[in-house]
Amino acid sequence: MTRRERALRTVRRGTVLTVVALLGLVIVYVRALMFTPIERFQGPAQKIFYVHAPVAWASLLAFAVCGLLSVGYLFMRDRRLDLLAMSSAEVGVALSVAMLTTGPIWGKPIWGTWWTWDFRLSSTLFLFLLFVGYLVLRGALADHEVRARYSAVLGVMALALVPFIHLTVYWFRTLHPAPVIMKPEAPSLPGVMLVTLLMSLAVFTLLYGGFLTVRYGLAVLEDVRLEEAAHELS
Amino acid sequence: MTTRTAMAIALKDLAIEWRTKTAFMSSLVFAVLVLAILFFARDATAVSAFDLAPGALWVTFTFAGMLGLNRAFLVERENHSLDGLRLSPATPTAIFLGKVTGNLIFVGVVELVSLPLFVVFYDIAIWRQVPLLLTVIAMATVAFVAVGTVLSAMVVRTRFSEVMLPVLLLPFLVPPIVGAVQITWRILAERPLAEMSGWLSLLGAFDIVFFALALLLFDAIITE
Amino acid sequence: MNYPDNGAYMVAAYIVTAVVVVGYAAMLFYRSRKLR
Repeated sequence: MTRRERALRTVRRGTVLTVVALLGLVIVYVRALMFTPIERFQGPAQKIFYVHAPVAWASLLAFAVCGLLSVGYLFMRDRRLDLLAMSSAEVGVALSVAMLTTGPIWGKPIWGTWWTWDFRLSSTLFLFLLFVGYLVLRGALADHEVRARYSAVLGVMALALVPFIHLTVYWFRTLHPAPVIMKPEAPSLPGVMLVTLLMSLAVFTLLYGGFLTVRYGLAVLEDVRLEEAAHELS
Repeated sequence: MTTRTAMAIALKDLAIEWRTKTAFMSSLVFAVLVLAILFFARDATAVSAFDLAPGALWVTFTFAGMLGLNRAFLVERENHSLDGLRLSPATPTAIFLGKVTGNLIFVGVVELVSLPLFVVFYDIAIWRQVPLLLTVIAMATVAFVAVGTVLSAMVVRTRFSEVMLPVLLLPFLVPPIVGAVQITWRILAERPLAEMSGWLSLLGAFDIVFFALALLLFDAIITE
Repeated sequence: MNYPDNGAYMVAAYIVTAVVVVGYAAMLFYRSRKLR
């Protein structure tokens, strides 16, 4: 199988995964909007949680994967790791847009304000800007090998930065709701809502996987096309 | 050998800068202007100079410092002297340490000169707290310079390096600068050391982790 | 109805998320067409 054929196959598989995830998203939407009870004190706006939290998780997952792949690239110098890292960063940035818009939309009715410099909001904003910077850096470097190397360096540094940003959260007064799921004792979200949340988490994780696969396949196709063009010129 | 090479590189950069002093003067003037503008850009009846002071100090240091960072590698871009460095027996570690030292001295001098101006403009009494204040400034500057040196080495190859450096650097500066500001206002308010120990540890840990990381990663940047 | 009347926010958030997700999917789809 040529590289091009393999890339096309990857794109096809990714498309299937994405379509499945999108269908799952429809199911989650229906369940969250119509079959999950409304929270008494926060009202319907509380349901934003079922999309905001999973999309935040997915985008943070995307950035973490990019960071880990960057480490991998620096050790193995495999072109594919670089293309996969870039794809993950791009998907992460796209999902972050959803996260950073639904966050304030949730904040306004629940906390009474669109934005607070609450550090968790701020830190996700900084991560978003960091990975936009990652993509901008890539855009500004013409040589593919240099681009891969430099992006990997930035990715590794970004990965190291995340725990520090997290630490700063705990030492800063924060408005962000106390963790409801990841507490040592049993989660304080009632059964029906918990199931909706978990379903949504699964769907967004699947969506990330689908997007990643398609984007990676397309990146390889672009690479192949450049190779072929270079060949024709020589 | 590495130390001598690093020192040679640092001294070379400083000698080049000393001849024209352009970057140094620009950074200094910039620092003074930022301090002044921040002082005036507030409602004086609502925000006291004392409340504004820690933030103003660190914003000033950050931006004046960034002006100085770009200079370290921009100087190598002309005449392709970076290739010369690569071909020399200098190891990437030596080059990194040399550049970092040069940057530390440059940024350090800008900070030390603007600090008295800060005291004067904002009417801060800091005599008792000078050692602690200098410690915090040193720690935050190390963080800033370590990360900034790595990023400026990468960014120098792009066309808009002056813009790209802040874009990439600023997210990394959030933990150290937030920490520095938190510690600085506590110092100025003469709070007990126990109140700032957490932030000091954060700053210290950041310094260690990112200096080590920068050192390790610099090889990947320089070696083609 | 003893809960606050903030359904509009919920709708807005769900729409925004759908737009971003479908939008990115469409962009990928469009790009794949160009590359074939």
